[in-house]
Amino acid sequence: MFWIRQIINGITQGSIYALMAIGYSLIFGKLLLVTFAFGEMVVFGVFVSYYLYAIVGLNLFLAIIIALPISWGLGMLVDKICYEKFRDEPRFLMLITTIGFGIFLKSFTQLIFGTGYRSYPNFIEGKIIVGGVRITYIQIFIILTTLLLLYGLNLFFKKTKLGVGIIALSNDLDAAKLVGINVNKSIKFGHSLGVVLGVFGGMMMVSYYNAIGASMGPILGLKAFTVVVFGGITSLPGAIIGGFTLGILENLSVATFGSGYKDIVAFVILILILVLRPSGLLGKKIDLF
Amino acid sequence: MFSNSKISNIIGNLKGIILENKLKIYLIILILALIFPFITNNQYYIYIGVLTLMYMILASSLNIIVGYTYQYLIGFAGFFAIGAYTTAIITTSFEVNFIFVFLISGIIASIFALLIGIPTSRLGGIFFAFATLGFGEIIRLIIINWDTLTRGTFGIPGIPRPKLFNFIINTNTNFYFFALLILLVQLFISYRVINSRVGRAWLSLKENSEAAKAMGIKIAKYRVLNLMYGTFWAGIGGAFYAYFTQYVSPDTFVLDEGFRIFAMVLVGGMGTLIGPIAGSGLLTILPELVREFARYQLIIYGVAILLIIHYRPQGLFGAKELAQAKVKDEK
Amino acid sequence: MATILKTDKVCKYFDGVKAVDKVSIEVEEGIILGIIGPNGAGKTTLFNVLTGMLAETEGKVIYKNKDITKLSPQDITNIGMSRTFQNIKLFDHLSAHENVKIGFHTKTKTGFIDAIFKTKTYNNDEQKVNEKGIKLLKRVGLAEKQEILGQNLSYGDKRRLEIARALAVEPDLLLVDEPTAGMNAKETRTIVELLDKLNDEGITVIIIEHDMGVIMNLCDEIVVLNDGNVISRGDPNYVQNDPAVREAYLGKGAS
Ligand SMILES: Nc1ncnc2c1ncn2[C@@H]1O[C@H](COP(=O)(O)OP(=O)(O)OP(=O)(O)O)[C@@H](O)[C@H]1O
Ligand SMILES: [Mg+2]
Repeated sequence: MFWIRQIINGITQGSIYALMAIGYSLIFGKLLLVTFAFGEMVVFGVFVSYYLYAIVGLNLFLAIIIALPISWGLGMLVDKICYEKFRDEPRFLMLITTIGFGIFLKSFTQLIFGTGYRSYPNFIEGKIIVGGVRITYIQIFIILTTLLLLYGLNLFFKKTKLGVGIIALSNDLDAAKLVGINVNKSIKFGHSLGVVLGVFGGMMMVSYYNAIGASMGPILGLKAFTVVVFGGITSLPGAIIGGFTLGILENLSVATFGSGYKDIVAFVILILILVLRPSGLLGKKIDLF
Repeated sequence: MFSNSKISNIIGNLKGIILENKLKIYLIILILALIFPFITNNQYYIYIGVLTLMYMILASSLNIIVGYTYQYLIGFAGFFAIGAYTTAIITTSFEVNFIFVFLISGIIASIFALLIGIPTSRLGGIFFAFATLGFGEIIRLIIINWDTLTRGTFGIPGIPRPKLFNFIINTNTNFYFFALLILLVQLFISYRVINSRVGRAWLSLKENSEAAKAMGIKIAKYRVLNLMYGTFWAGIGGAFYAYFTQYVSPDTFVLDEGFRIFAMVLVGGMGTLIGPIAGSGLLTILPELVREFARYQLIIYGVAILLIIHYRPQGLFGAKELAQAKVKDEK
Repeated sequence: MATILKTDKVCKYFDGVKAVDKVSIEVEEGIILGIIGPNGAGKTTLFNVLTGMLAETEGKVIYKNKDITKLSPQDITNIGMSRTFQNIKLFDHLSAHENVKIGFHTKTKTGFIDAIFKTKTYNNDEQKVNEKGIKLLKRVGLAEKQEILGQNLSYGDKRRLEIARALAVEPDLLLVDEPTAGMNAKETRTIVELLDKLNDEGITVIIIEHDMGVIMNLCDEIVVLNDGNVISRGDPNYVQNDPAVREAYLGKGAS
């Protein structure tokens, strides 16, 4: 029973990582925007919803619904500051600009919302017992929402003009330009979409663990990156598999070694992939630098 | 408001003056640095002087890695921590000559660099950045959790003062000159390494790794060597920190510490020896002058990085100009 | 004369594009071999495979009787094969002299200790790279420009500097990819003379070139590539009159 519960916890956690990783993979794998500020953007977006809920006093769902377009705007801002001017420049410049922005955003978040951890409410309370295993409603909510969003995204990339355009330009930029895809617009859109997915994943995560802190950004970024590298940078299904893998492994390691070293799991996976299979599980090899 | 071109004009002119009198200016700065502890009695100023010099050592060591091979080391604080804890653990258990302790601290940091450098050497850029971010955090987690060795969150107090024969390095002024000495030795050694076959190999793989391969330069080997060399000095910086504050705790070695040093390198200008010195001087002394600044320190550092990349990618004293300046010097 | 380089059915495919397809050639020591062919024929790809920059899909490369198929570019450089790039790859922010100095990497030994203490090895190495570096720059006509940054050189000078840097490796086999592209007639002549002279000194040369004047002037033997295949080979006279060659070029609308 204990282990089954750990696996369910892992799947829940994995759903969250999968969502964030899809966001990251979209930005990094599809649009080839090197980003170091992803985790910080996620934390900022989540804090906005926290602020609207706890300080302004809005209904939680309303707070979330308002925070998402704000996160979208943050995505636009980051594209403006960190990417737009550097699209045709060596890619390490994007790395530096996003490092700079990440430092700024993290400290900015700390300044406004404080450095300590805040408690974030559960979306839904309650639990059911199935065959002796306790499953909380929020776990069910998270898993279902993730599956639904993944299905929606799949449709978006297959059926809509914008979605098809984003995939097209990630496959062949020149060809995409030739068939009249507005590259700049598509990149901006895709980047913001990635940020919003990440923020939404972040909201579910802090709702699940009930805590948010302004300094969580870099480690979240590391985890999203690890998941994406694990699944294969360019592969969205890979990101999903990677997300579940990390979630489950983290929970099993906590169950085995205690929570002190939980954050090490992602790092160990990252190093193992770099050594054993740099192109990841499902990804194409891409030349990053 | 100044326009961009005006600002870069002013900086450009200033730079011209600085470059033409480079040696003279270095000499003046050195003399000022030497007499500084004698022109003030304020212990606090001297204390800030020591910290500034320590950051100069750290920024110079990160610069070797970031500036000469473009390896974006994010977890720099981890290596700083390894040096500091090595010193703390050794000196609180044994009586060992401090020179030896310094060397061991540097070498242990290098050994960790070797371990993290090998798996990351094939992939540059963001892989390296994230892998080292994770590394830095893990060092901190290990320090927190392995409390039989590190005393966990309590930290290790009571690190003894360094002693040479009968002389004990004790006062702020002592430490000030000690730090200055380390910095000068570091700069001297780095200068020699950079202007040799090894330094040229580093530059070549930063400039064009394809061409470097065609010249028979083993990229992975030189990346790892570079990382080991740079982190050796991070370890030395850590040892100095431990001796100076006599107390180490995991709170010091957070990611932010690494970001702070990263900002110093970028703002000052990476890829030159003088850039990070200027950067760390500026970014350590400025917050002291404007006390309001302290609260917003990292915000301003972040903005400074963004401004620099947009308007002066080479930093205030960046490599591009100095490469040309070097040509002038040789004539 | 002995064979210095031999390829055995070397292939390089990119996602279905057969850039180089079953190319088997033999290069005798001491000659100048020309490789010609229309754009996209696979010439540069062949160079990349020979120098280890790209892994071949299939086939074998033998250099000085040694199988070098699996060697890294660095190891291949180390045993005396050196190249220039069609799309120039200089160390842009370093001076011409420093560019050449880096070329001496495999011919010098200085390590950390030598550099820090300025040992004899360091002094010998520095003297060597300084003096020989200048000499090489003189050979390619860049003596006055030794302190100009790579990125600030003219196009022709960049190509010259690439040759000087490739020579610093002290190669036995030199591969040059379109060394006279973008040069005027006079500049082209100096390159032709230089290559000829290097060849006289014992360096085997393989040259990719679109300028037929250069090829006819310089080469002892010519290999013609088209769509990744060798369609003709022989001495300049033979190749010039080979109907297959004319067809390949005229068929593509080129001269
Ligand atoms: N890295 C690569 N990835 C995919 N295709 C490639 C790559 N490099 C070359 N090709 C393809 O291989 C074929 C041969 O190219 P290559 O550059 O070798 O031609 P070339 O004979 O040197 O032409 P040119 O005279 O224009 O220099 C071309 O169709 C090219 O598009
Ligand atoms: Mg070519």
